[in-house]
Amino acid sequence: MDNRAALDPKHSVVVEACAGSGKTWLLVSRIVRLLLDGVKPAEILAITFTRKAAQEMQARLRDWLYELASADDDQAREFLRQRAVLETDIERLLPRARSLYQQFLLAQPGITISTFHGWFMQILQRAPLNAGMAGGVQLVEQTAELWQEAWQTFLDELHSQPDGEAARSMQVLFKEFGLSNTQKMLRAFANKRSEWWAYTAGQHDPLEYALESLRAELDVDMDSDPIAKLAAHDSFAGDVRTLARLLNASAAQQAKAARLLAPLDGTLTVAPWFAALWDELFTQKNEPRIIKANKGQDVAQLSCAVEVVRAQLLAASDQKQAQHIFLTNQHALRCGAALLDTYQALKQRQQMLDFGDLEWRVRQLLNNSDHAEYLQYKLDSRYRHVLLDEFQDTNPLQWQILQAWFAASAAVQSTPTVFVVGDPKQSIYRFRRADARLFGVVREFLQQHYMAHYLTQNETRRNAPAVLNVVNGVFDGLPEYTDFETHHAHQTALPGHVEILPLLDKGETVQPDSTSGELRLRNPLIEPYPDQQVGAREGEAEQFAAHINNIVANWSVQENNVERRAEYRDIMVLVRRRTHLKIYEQALRSLHIPYLTSRRGGLLDTLEALDIQALLTFLITPFADLQLAHSLRTPIFACSDDDLMQLAQEEDGGSWWQRLQRIAQSDTASAELRRAHRLLQGWQVLADKLPVHDLLDRIYFEGDAQNRYAAAVPEAMRATVSANLQAFIEIALNVDAGRYPSLPGFQRELAELRKADDNEAPDEGKVSQAGNAVRIYTVHEAKGLEAPIVWLLDANAKSPADKGFDVLVDWPTQAMRPAHFSLYGDKASRGAARKHYFEQDAALASTEDLNLLYVAMTRAKQALLVSGNGERSAGTWYDRIANAKQAVSAENPLLVAQAADSHDIEPVPSLTLDERLTQPLPTGTRKAALTDAQRRGIWLHGLMQHLAMPDAVTDAQSLQRLLGIPEAQLPALWQQAQHLLNLPQLAHFFDAQQYRSACNEMPYIDATGELKRIDRLVEFDDEVWVLDYKTGESANPAPYRAQMNVYRSAMQAVYPGKTVRCALLFADGVLSEV
Amino acid sequence: MEPIKNSGTQTAPAVFFDHVARHILAQHAHEIPDLRRATVLLPNYHAAQPLAQALARAANRPALLLPKMVTLGDWALSIPLDTPIQPDTPRIAALYQALRERRWFADADLWGLSRELLGLMDELTRHHVALPESEIEFAEQLTRAYQARSGQSMQFEARVVHELWYAMAAGGELDGVRAYQQRLALLAQQVDSPLYVLLTGDLDAPEARFLEACRARVLVTLFDMREMVADEASCAVMRMALSAPASHLREQATHLREYLPQSALGSRLRLFAAHGLEQEAQAADVQVRRWLLEGRRSIAVVVQDRLVARRVRALLERAEVQVQDETGWTFATLSVSTVLMRWLDALQNDFYYQDVLDLFKSTFLFADAPAAQRKQAAYLFEQMVRKHGVIAHLQGFVETAEREVPELIQPLVRLRQAALALPKKTASLAEWLGALHNSLDILGVIKGWSQDAAGQQLLQLWSQWTDDLHKDGTHCSFAEWRRWLAQQLDLNTFRDTAVESPVLFTHLAATRWRTFDAVLLLGCDAAHLPAPVNAGQWFNDAVRATLGLPLGNAQQVRVRDDLLALLALNDTVLVTWQTTKNGEPNMLSPHFEMLRALHLLAYRDDLAAIELADMLQHARVRSEVFAIPEAGAMPHPAAPPALLPERISPSGYNSLVACPYQFYARHILRLNELDEVREELDKRDYGTWVHAALQIFHAEFPLVENHAREQLTEALQRISMEVFDDALAHDYLAEAWLLRWQAQIPAYLDWQLENEQAGWRYQAAEQPFAVEVMEQLTLRGRIDRIDKRSDDTAALCVLDYKTQTVARLKNKLKEAGEDVQLACYAYARDAGSAAFVSLDDDKVLGVAPPHDVGELAELNIERLVTLFGQMRAGTALPANGIDAVCAYCEMQGLCRKEAWRDA
Ligand code: SF4
Repeated sequence: MDNRAALDPKHSVVVEACAGSGKTWLLVSRIVRLLLDGVKPAEILAITFTRKAAQEMQARLRDWLYELASADDDQAREFLRQRAVLETDIERLLPRARSLYQQFLLAQPGITISTFHGWFMQILQRAPLNAGMAGGVQLVEQTAELWQEAWQTFLDELHSQPDGEAARSMQVLFKEFGLSNTQKMLRAFANKRSEWWAYTAGQHDPLEYALESLRAELDVDMDSDPIAKLAAHDSFAGDVRTLARLLNASAAQQAKAARLLAPLDGTLTVAPWFAALWDELFTQKNEPRIIKANKGQDVAQLSCAVEVVRAQLLAASDQKQAQHIFLTNQHALRCGAALLDTYQALKQRQQMLDFGDLEWRVRQLLNNSDHAEYLQYKLDSRYRHVLLDEFQDTNPLQWQILQAWFAASAAVQSTPTVFVVGDPKQSIYRFRRADARLFGVVREFLQQHYMAHYLTQNETRRNAPAVLNVVNGVFDGLPEYTDFETHHAHQTALPGHVEILPLLDKGETVQPDSTSGELRLRNPLIEPYPDQQVGAREGEAEQFAAHINNIVANWSVQENNVERRAEYRDIMVLVRRRTHLKIYEQALRSLHIPYLTSRRGGLLDTLEALDIQALLTFLITPFADLQLAHSLRTPIFACSDDDLMQLAQEEDGGSWWQRLQRIAQSDTASAELRRAHRLLQGWQVLADKLPVHDLLDRIYFEGDAQNRYAAAVPEAMRATVSANLQAFIEIALNVDAGRYPSLPGFQRELAELRKADDNEAPDEGKVSQAGNAVRIYTVHEAKGLEAPIVWLLDANAKSPADKGFDVLVDWPTQAMRPAHFSLYGDKASRGAARKHYFEQDAALASTEDLNLLYVAMTRAKQALLVSGNGERSAGTWYDRIANAKQAVSAENPLLVAQAADSHDIEPVPSLTLDERLTQPLPTGTRKAALTDAQRRGIWLHGLMQHLAMPDAVTDAQSLQRLLGIPEAQLPALWQQAQHLLNLPQLAHFFDAQQYRSACNEMPYIDATGELKRIDRLVEFDDEVWVLDYKTGESANPAPYRAQMNVYRSAMQAVYPGKTVRCALLFADGVLSEV
Repeated sequence: MEPIKNSGTQTAPAVFFDHVARHILAQHAHEIPDLRRATVLLPNYHAAQPLAQALARAANRPALLLPKMVTLGDWALSIPLDTPIQPDTPRIAALYQALRERRWFADADLWGLSRELLGLMDELTRHHVALPESEIEFAEQLTRAYQARSGQSMQFEARVVHELWYAMAAGGELDGVRAYQQRLALLAQQVDSPLYVLLTGDLDAPEARFLEACRARVLVTLFDMREMVADEASCAVMRMALSAPASHLREQATHLREYLPQSALGSRLRLFAAHGLEQEAQAADVQVRRWLLEGRRSIAVVVQDRLVARRVRALLERAEVQVQDETGWTFATLSVSTVLMRWLDALQNDFYYQDVLDLFKSTFLFADAPAAQRKQAAYLFEQMVRKHGVIAHLQGFVETAEREVPELIQPLVRLRQAALALPKKTASLAEWLGALHNSLDILGVIKGWSQDAAGQQLLQLWSQWTDDLHKDGTHCSFAEWRRWLAQQLDLNTFRDTAVESPVLFTHLAATRWRTFDAVLLLGCDAAHLPAPVNAGQWFNDAVRATLGLPLGNAQQVRVRDDLLALLALNDTVLVTWQTTKNGEPNMLSPHFEMLRALHLLAYRDDLAAIELADMLQHARVRSEVFAIPEAGAMPHPAAPPALLPERISPSGYNSLVACPYQFYARHILRLNELDEVREELDKRDYGTWVHAALQIFHAEFPLVENHAREQLTEALQRISMEVFDDALAHDYLAEAWLLRWQAQIPAYLDWQLENEQAGWRYQAAEQPFAVEVMEQLTLRGRIDRIDKRSDDTAALCVLDYKTQTVARLKNKLKEAGEDVQLACYAYARDAGSAAFVSLDDDKVLGVAPPHDVGELAELNIERLVTLFGQMRAGTALPANGIDAVCAYCEMQGLCRKEAWRDA
């Protein structure tokens, strides 16, 4: 591919590039070229698919710019050359190239590298005030809880209005589909709400509109009964008679003929009439029955007569089904729309926005040309260059938004250049409404309106030729994959290997003969349930785990062109879905192979997380016996079964906590039980006082949790368990930082998280990066990742079937709105009129399945392993790869007996650690709260300071606020202050007429650097008084003497010519000179 | 007299203070030792101490009367004003009202908007922006500034700002910003002695104006850190990196190396790249403790990322290091507010049980009584809810309590009284505040607050709001008022002032001109430093520039200036940040990025703190030394005979077969799961109702074949309706379950007819049994249904209704002895036949064991006897359940299967 064209800042470009071809390199290089061209960072908008990718781009850009800034001239020139800067421009651009780093870091506003959603949020925050979006909104990432609430509210509404339209519709749905399918369907509807809104946009009555459109499309007349109509049709009866007559000609078919004629006698009602005829011409599976002509029958005539009748029956049946489809849609759409309203209203009330809303709102915003134009001016960033990464994952709404943005830019005369890069083969996000077909549409659009260059790239920098051979073998010439072009390897010498493991079919299960012979029952105390169920999958898992150890023992990989021994962390395991992951993980565990799984929601289900949850439950629910017993058994306490039995046997009974309290007092308790009692008792008290995170930290600390868990779990799990404990405390940390935290609130949050959708529950704790572990991902998650060795598990699984109860949408790629929107139940109820939509959907789904395979295979840098279980069936991933076997080489170049061990096991530097770091270091103190008297004293002083200051604030109200005096306290204090100030014996200290100068709260510093403060210093002609206010009643001044002498000598130094006198002034007005 | 805290020891950065001190002393040479005529304007009071010490050093006198050292804000406050000042609370309320009247923003959060607008108004005031009188003119001004064509959006923006600005100005009250300006103006006229100003960055407009005015009367000297560092060689690297670059990196580096061959920064500043939150927190914890051990007496942790800070504090507390926190927490994140909001939730959600439970579990509730009483109430309430399944409505709780738990009545009645204290309709903000106060008082919450530091501050705030709002007439609904309150709790911060410690948490702006023995800058990634500017909805930089408002990047510049000052004034600094967050790369703050880059290039040192990471593992404080547990293995306890049950049910027996340890936990330890509070109907309820319906039905129709089908259908329908009736009244979903059952009725009748045709007659339902199978062991249970043959054998068949699929049931019965239920029933009634009746599919089918039932029954009981014999003899109970059993086992926390050595 021609990088010069791709990186030319003046031109719009569309690049279609295969996996591993360096799309990010290209995109970031283009940003560098833009900056070199004098484009300001604020003028660049780059959008990619995930936050992670955005962050990585940002980091790469920074690193490159640093490289440019710090490299020597030759290196910098070479850098520019690689980015296709013309030789003639290099010298001119060099100085600028070197300054880009600082420019990039300091730019304000900076460059925008973001996800669609991140960018949408920015837009929304600056939306015009009249766009109906004023006021802060909060983006919610987890919606499961909201959904639950909406569903409940919706049901309550239905319950309160049982005769309402929605409630009646709901009944129909329940009857038709049952509860769970109804719920599934309505939820599916709500998930497709953007499509629904787009479909019904601008309609006064969306429901009515949708139904009317559906009715028209189904071409259904709801008022007539197609079957009754058919029955009433004379000519149909004639057709049936004709058929019967023809059949009668054969003795063998006379019975059938009679059965056909019987319904015509007029005794049957419509439904059984139809059923009787239908059964003669269709099988139970509703397929045409084969009616063969016998001797004496005219083949053509007979089959013609059969067809005539059959066609009419089918037409009537289709009509009937269409009516049914319409009816169920009527009810389901009505309920769906009502549920959606509830959900939207709920969020509106709480000023919340989910991702779907965000997209929709931005679309609405930009579809208003006035608003769109305003935004062009309003944003501080004015994008002149838009770069779009992973474009195949864009959905129609996002593309509409971009188009509207471009149009608005054009309207204000600042049409941007557009750079699009993507790979339709890697489009795997249909479930997030991505549409790979958009890529072609956009390419044409940009070629037409932006004079864009269109470039393709099929050379990959990632994969070894051996891996690529198989990729080509699978996809080249595949009829469903017409756009595929042969891939080429950039690293032609990179050793690679592909291994297809034999399919593990159902293992030999020894079925105990249950019917013959003597009956024998198992004794569970002695004989565990036989492990004869080693299914095919378990077999695959065992094979997998064993081979991983083999790889680590005997294979090598390359890292930065250096060969070294393969390690666990070099292996990436991919599955299509997480459904069966547990079995494979189990196999790894039994061989003590460290692994990291991204199984979401897994964290809260791990034993260690359940332990902590049980403990917390016990702490706030003391009668939770099982939770207490559970806690006692955790490594934190490590109580034995003997301990538990002691508790169970305790005579006085009551809750287990009560028993534990009693036993712990006695001397029969084990050390573990006593320790558990002591710690639990303390934590119960803390649970009342501390925020959850702080409580958990105490528990971890005092319970020595990390160390004890490390000791109690198998070696292979240590790192994971430790990370999970850490991850759990981080959840608490986040919850605590939220609003209105509490322990019960935290537990509810956990319960919600466990219930939440897969993609919403928190990740299992990530083992620290240095961790050397096999990584397990779904193919979706692995997008954008790579590994030296990739293992594709469970590859013989069929692609998941459509389970029904979903939404059927057809959104033509060019259109502003979907062309079709309806709901469907199970497979049987799809109906003929919608057939082409279903077919189109199925075709897209099967392409996506291939895309998924493509993504999976291309993650492998050097080695690809494929395994599966069950009987080999055509079209599975396994089958496809195995069919491309001719491309697989027999020998394995990675198999090196003596590969060097990895270098990064450096000897741990023996650091000299201050032993005191492992000991407590008591630091800091908590002040005792002030007594009321002390507080009053402070207020009184404050008042006196202010009141004795000429020209100061002196009104009671202001002073009260200034000094923070409670309203009730003020009158008395005020009076007392005034009283003191007006005391005749003190007048000469407070009456400005009587002294030369006075000073409150006067700071001075002595030679040792100690800062002191004198309450009041009053200067007379020949003497100086130091007054020290005391809060209490008059008392013996002796204890204060030393202090006062310090003041005296200091002031003596300042006023050498005057007498310095010191006195204490007590709250009762007594002045006591010291 | 209190000592001044956080005293810094003499360090290299003291040069800056010495410089200031020498300058002041020179100006006031003839007045020494009395410097009271000079005024030093400080950024904060912590700077006073080092300055005073510098003065003392330079003057070298036994005592020195210090200059007036004050912040400008405090100084201004000492100027009295004649006009009363209107606080912000009623101003927001006024804006709210104005917005509400105008109906411009239909669904928006008007309180949030009001606050934003107030901020804008104050900003306009602060920068002396005068809006043109005509709205059109203002709109045109905006359009010009945006360099845009005029559009509706722009006109509307102009209108909102213009109209509200004049509406607010019409009130004529003096707001805080104006008052400050007036005071400064007055003060400027009174100033009569030289002013010295300590700065780290640019002055804001009002302050700049003030100093300008003072210049006319007195000598004003500025000490701007940015200029002062220029003369300090040791600050060269940071100055270059933290100011707008005049040359590029390589030139800077070359220049530096020539000018300063040795890095002056390397020994002062280190950067620690943590790979996650926990590591960052640990690094901070260990470093702080190392500093303490080195004897440093003032250590500042400058907090950018509050989550990490919280974690650090917890880790420090493990080592008994307390932290003095200047940053504080908003009230919304404190438990004092949780009780308040939970109470409002309870009121709003009709006393949903979880809100009430949360209330009961808060220590602030009923604080006027002993805590044990509240805990007892919480305990009883929770048990009541779990047992009786009442999930909302206070009245419902009270009624249930009257029937079941009389001790709970009093606390519940107290809730009711408190609820009555609140207005039913709209009220003014102050009225709501008062009413809520009463209501909380009834609940004992006020008492609870008054015993808590945060609570006391909240009470103070409360009375201030009440004061501020006493004249305000904004009437609000409950929901509106709640939002107001939530906003207030979000806006106000609680600081715990009781701790005194050398370790201090603070924020960057509070470090101006402060020196510490060591500084740790926590959370210095690009996302936090500088913090993202919240540009809000108003204008953009072009317009702000036109109007004379500070630009969006002013904040950034300030941060940069503050950092520069911090680094100049402190010579031991550690910066930490996380290189990855949630698996995503996380960038270092651009300021430190530049610093690092420059230093790396100039001195081949990227400033990384290296040795710290290796230390973390070994520098953890352990709480106690107690024997570490051994690795887990499969448990197999042997139970003492005394604990063995004397009765067993078929399901208990099933448990014993599936996993002896599960049986041990359930029936020997007798541990049970807590009753769940079930909020939604589920299959269990369904099963119960169907059982009940069928029992009633067959009591009426023991033999169905004699009845017309319609009659049967009608009867079973009717009976089912009656059974479901109660649920239907409460729960909409009951409808769905009922419909499901009704759809199955024909299939059930079909099955029943077939059953009768096969010669079976319904005989009885819900039959309890108890059979002594050995000494001290009774098998007991209840049989769903018993049929009898119509022929003279009179043989029996025991039946059990199941809402499970046929396939599952078949699977259960596949292997003899693995599911004992039917065998036990058969044994109890000496029945020769037995079956499950599957009520799950479209069809209703009986599923019988593939073995001889009589034999099965005998063998099962024999085995039961054997098992108990063995257990009594001390045979251990292994945890040998298979995965399929474990998946639904509530005892996995007890057997700990997942963590055995050899899983
Ligand atoms: S989890 Fe499994 S092994 Fe453990 S007690 Fe339950 S059934 Fe037995």
